[in-house]
Amino acid sequence: MQQLVNGIFLGSIYALFAMGYTLVFGVLDLLNLAHQAVFMLGAFIGWLLAVEFGWPLWAAVIGAVAAGAILGLLIERIAFAPLRGRPDAHFAGLISSIALAIVMVAVALGIFGPQTLRFPPGSFPSARVSFAGATVSVLQLVILAVAVTMMLGLNWLVASTRLGRAMRAVAENPRAARVLGINVERVTLITFMLSSALGSTAGILFALAFNSIRVEMGLAIELKGLAVIIVGGMGSLPGAMLGGLLLGLAEVFSVARIGSGWRDVVAFGLLFAILLLRPHGLLGRKRVREV
Amino acid sequence: MTAERAGAVLEVRDVHVSYGQIQAVRGVSLTVPSGSLVTLIGANGAGKSSTLAAICGLVRAKRGQVLVDGEDVTRWRSHRLVEAGVVQVPEGREILATLTIEENLQLGAWHQGRHLAEGLADVFGRFPVLADRRRLPAGTLSGGEQQMLAIGRALLARPRILLMDEPSMGLAPMLVDEVFGVIERIRAEGTTVLLVEQNAHRALQAADHGYVMETGEVILEGPASELLANERVVEAYLGEAFHEPDPAVSDGGGRFPDAAPPRC
Ligand SMILES: Nc1ncnc2c1ncn2[C@@H]1O[C@H](COP(=O)(O)OP(=O)(O)OP(=O)(O)O)[C@@H](O)[C@H]1O
Ligand SMILES: [Mg+2]
Repeated sequence: MQQLVNGIFLGSIYALFAMGYTLVFGVLDLLNLAHQAVFMLGAFIGWLLAVEFGWPLWAAVIGAVAAGAILGLLIERIAFAPLRGRPDAHFAGLISSIALAIVMVAVALGIFGPQTLRFPPGSFPSARVSFAGATVSVLQLVILAVAVTMMLGLNWLVASTRLGRAMRAVAENPRAARVLGINVERVTLITFMLSSALGSTAGILFALAFNSIRVEMGLAIELKGLAVIIVGGMGSLPGAMLGGLLLGLAEVFSVARIGSGWRDVVAFGLLFAILLLRPHGLLGRKRVREV
Repeated sequence: MTAERAGAVLEVRDVHVSYGQIQAVRGVSLTVPSGSLVTLIGANGAGKSSTLAAICGLVRAKRGQVLVDGEDVTRWRSHRLVEAGVVQVPEGREILATLTIEENLQLGAWHQGRHLAEGLADVFGRFPVLADRRRLPAGTLSGGEQQMLAIGRALLARPRILLMDEPSMGLAPMLVDEVFGVIERIRAEGTTVLLVEQNAHRALQAADHGYVMETGEVILEGPASELLANERVVEAYLGEAFHEPDPAVSDGGGRFPDAAPPRC
């Protein structure tokens, strides 16, 4: 039971991160490899606001989310917008977003240094809640609530709002969206901002959960996020949620039952097994897209 | 909503469009008076769709101007033109197959949110088949129904100038009749229409004025009735269509003699 709770907890952070990835991919057909750097910077910015500026924790989290949205705007403007219209825009964007990620990591290294940052003792409420044989801290509950709220909120936004309709229209057929009078450039920008807000939220939540902030933390989650969206079905938001939860559970259970050395073997092995059974991912559709 | 959708005059002056080396439109000029139905006909690849794309801001005109009510809109981006009432029903319908019929229509009203309910009721009144299936993915509609959806979606943008690109393409004769009925009704309600067609005979019968394009240029223009009687038009675009209204017949790319065409 305790492992189930921990797995869901970790998985919800993976899911949040992966949803950011898959949102940009689903709407714009672009893979933004600077997403991991947003995750890392979200953690650092949250730490900066809470520890250096003395903001209350909730305000620091909101600040990190907002900073993430701004990072998304910069990523789109710097790494993707200049390439628009090129026949190789997808591949070129992949490379330029990697380059931008390297710059962002270098900037973080310059400002915060290579050491692991931690929140000082007493930063978090120490209360714990027990139920059904498992113990969770209030902090964990809050983190889970934030992650779940943001996931459901994003799903609702895409499924039921005017902006979400426009995003789906751009995803299916950008030219048709343009003909309908949708400002495709603006929808693109907003998509990046939402995506990066999710990424930086995942980052600050991860930092709070493990009380550890390092420049390399983005690299560690990057591959997991990509694996999750492939397993969930590229571009599928519910797929990313499900995939993230599965990965979190697989990691926690393999550590508890087999040993921590086997964590990645079991987790990624499971993901490969899923892909063998469902090549398009858990909730993926065969997508036929004209160039 | 009819009264509010008053027509506007559209003027295209010496517009050029290129795709890399390909010169698709080479100095086209058109005038579409307020409230009129003007048709643009021509063979495959003549540059009709490219002309519409330049009007709608979907491609940049390399040279020339587009004016709406005398205002230069050449550099406007497509969403701004739609907001101003210059709306296209694109070639091949371009409906969003994974979105529902209702969502497609809601997107048509992107800039007209305030009038959404009224507009939806109007379109569902015109096309009851859409109302019945509003919650289904638009991809489940037949070709003819998709065309009605594409037209309905454009109407929700409350167009002042409606640009229609081959709305009868690929439809059975009965549906072609229905589409032309819809077009004539839209026009009768005061919306200005520029209709691109390969079904030249039907288009000229419905239109006030016609332009004939070939290899990127307008080679002939005049009142639709005169073009219908014009020997060259009959020969190149109408052919047997006079006796046997088969859209396939008018697809044949006609070639006009090099001699200066008569300007009617
Ligand atoms: N996106 C594009 N890139 C390159 N060339 C294009 C593009 N769109 C059109 N063309 C070329 O421009 C020319 C004019 O095409 P256009 O689609 O405007 O013709 P059309 O009169 O609408 O033809 P149709 O009746 O077949 O629809 C053609 O030679 C076509 O191949
Ligand atoms: Mg065309």
